[in-house]
Amino acid sequence: MQLKYGLVSADSHIVLDRDAFKRHMSAVKWGDLIPHVRETEGRNGQTVDRWFVHEELTGGVGGVVNCPAVMPNREIEKIYPERWEDVPAKVWDPLERVEALDSDGVDAEVLFPNDPGRGQFFRWGDSEFELACVQAHNDAETEWRQASDRFAPLLILPYLSPIETIVAEVERGAKNGHRGVNLLGTPSNIGPNVKHINDPFWNPLWDICEELEMPLHYHESAGAGVHPMPRWSGFSLNAFHTAMTSPTAATVAQLIPNLIFSGILERHPRMKWVCAEAGVGWINYVSEGCDHEWERRRLWTEGLTTRPSDIVHRQVYVNFWYERSGIELRDTVGVDNIMWESDYPHTTSTYPHSWEFVERTLAGVSEEERKKLLYENAMRVYRL
Amino acid sequence: MADRFISTDEHVQEPPHLWTRRLSQAKWGDRIPHLDRQADGTERWIVDGNPLALAGAASAAALMPERTREPQCWEEVPAMAYVPRERLRAMDADGVDYAVLYPTVAGVGGETFARITDPELELACVQAYNDWLIEEWAGASERFIPQCIVPLFPPEAAAAEVRRAVALGHRGVIYPGVPMELRAVPHVNEPEYDVLWATCQELGVPLCFHAGASTTTQLAPHEGYSPALAGALEGLTRPASTAVVLVNLLLSRILMRFPELKVVFAESGLGWCAYLLEYTDHQFENDKVRNEDFPLKPSELFRRQCYFTGWYDRISLRIRHHIGIENILWCTNFPQATSTWPRSREVIDAWAENVPVGERQQILWGNAAKLYRL
Repeated sequence: MQLKYGLVSADSHIVLDRDAFKRHMSAVKWGDLIPHVRETEGRNGQTVDRWFVHEELTGGVGGVVNCPAVMPNREIEKIYPERWEDVPAKVWDPLERVEALDSDGVDAEVLFPNDPGRGQFFRWGDSEFELACVQAHNDAETEWRQASDRFAPLLILPYLSPIETIVAEVERGAKNGHRGVNLLGTPSNIGPNVKHINDPFWNPLWDICEELEMPLHYHESAGAGVHPMPRWSGFSLNAFHTAMTSPTAATVAQLIPNLIFSGILERHPRMKWVCAEAGVGWINYVSEGCDHEWERRRLWTEGLTTRPSDIVHRQVYVNFWYERSGIELRDTVGVDNIMWESDYPHTTSTYPHSWEFVERTLAGVSEEERKKLLYENAMRVYRL
Repeated sequence: MADRFISTDEHVQEPPHLWTRRLSQAKWGDRIPHLDRQADGTERWIVDGNPLALAGAASAAALMPERTREPQCWEEVPAMAYVPRERLRAMDADGVDYAVLYPTVAGVGGETFARITDPELELACVQAYNDWLIEEWAGASERFIPQCIVPLFPPEAAAAEVRRAVALGHRGVIYPGVPMELRAVPHVNEPEYDVLWATCQELGVPLCFHAGASTTTQLAPHEGYSPALAGALEGLTRPASTAVVLVNLLLSRILMRFPELKVVFAESGLGWCAYLLEYTDHQFENDKVRNEDFPLKPSELFRRQCYFTGWYDRISLRIRHHIGIENILWCTNFPQATSTWPRSREVIDAWAENVPVGERQQILWGNAAKLYRL
């Protein structure tokens, strides 16, 4: 890939067009179960569009697409589009999206899922349906990769399938240009038939990801089985969003220690694990805290012979978009372990002022380090 | 001369007779918290008929030959865990001048008795602990800073116990950060709790949320983990689980209603703290919460009224200005497995050389001395 701006977003969100799943799933077999956008009644009785999966209304925070960063009046209010025609094409049309990248001075972006692809296809307990949706999602992402090599899509996995099928999906994705795998933090929370992440069941997945150089990803809290604070009815919708999302980002500070103490990372020394939309500074907590416990409890006697902070430096990557305190500690985090992200087109995105955020956040950082943080590390991790 | 040091998070070990001697046997019988001998000879605490989720008869791994093994019966519990004058020797050996006390059996965050559904028994257990701590510990040395526990609900009862305990000599109030997890009680942000916050503010005693009072906010260890690995994982998940309590408090408006209230996040660690304050401010701005009559950013509210507690975190002290020099406390976490005892001074020396002497004294002494009015 040719660099023009010197800035790669290691965390953006794909928005599949409303017909994406229809193109890749059999209408005869799945009919209206196929994920699609349809009209329904909104909260105030008005007509709105929403994604329906398996004939059920689905979706996250609000609107038909999670893309407040590209909506009007963003400086003043936060808006989710209610109708599909209100969704700017620069989020769901790959060719228009490339122009949005240009307008923001961004060379390339790593694509994480967005609703309805954020891992809810297992909800109906039907492994065949899940697999069909997951493959359709991953195939629709391949179209983006074909449209431009400035997109680096990540795979989602069929959790209800046998491990051979999961591994085959990774192999298929690697051939189709996918650049990594997005994973749930606690897959066993899906149900009794899904094994705990520490279970040897998953070993073939770790092996294939290591072999094919497909980094694994936790995005934000990765839907981990860690309870949030119970919701308080006194919060406005916006205050609730802040109250909910801020601490859940710190969930990776609980998940990565498990990857260390389980031996998963130690046994796969070439495996890379990226934590997206979770910021930077917490990784020092993990390195220092795991070292502290490793020393206190003499965990080398438990078969963990590599010092945890060495594992983190060797294999764990984190992203920043505005965080001064984390950048000040970049030497202990590791300047080869930090990538930039825009989170386009979600609420917190730096778009369309990404370079302002870059300059503010990287004030005082040497040119050599800037290059690593802004694009070199991402180009290496994602083979761009 | 070494800097003076107030260790702001240490745990007493409650002895087997604490509650059986102070509660009416005739009235409560086996519901009284007591040590119960198992068929295999080990002992476990039983509270109101339910076994306590402790890995032994006590939590004192820092004093054990192997840190991965808790004492399994009372005979194995080292005296430094539960005998005040022995504890003073442990403090001397570690360079600790004063110790702020948290419970063990009563819950590291005062959560154990909150699970008792009989309010009369709950209060009796709470008051027995608070009385015992004053008589046995505060009475033994002024180097112990006692903090009370309270009944979970209603807040009027909790506030009344705070008044009683502070009159006895207690200097802080320990309260579980997610009370709704322990019993069917209203959300902690509801105004009906105001009487409790108001009482703490009026009496000038800090409100202390200790990590671990809530377990659902922590990632559960895999069942295949050995005790050593499960303990190590908990060493990371427990402090980090403070994040939900912290962010909720900063957005709850409680600190705006009670601007003089001081809140301590015990066993928070420091490693994730600057990061999370910055993250929350960023979300707060992006979500336009400022427009909702929030005059101060979350980090500004934190700096005005809150404290984090470190014990081994050297890296974060390099960015202490992002947390707030006045908002950092230090501790040894004695006698838990994760404790820096008996080498706490070595840990402190490792960061202290890079921190100006004035700031160092604030973190080790000044902030806590002001908070606990020493």
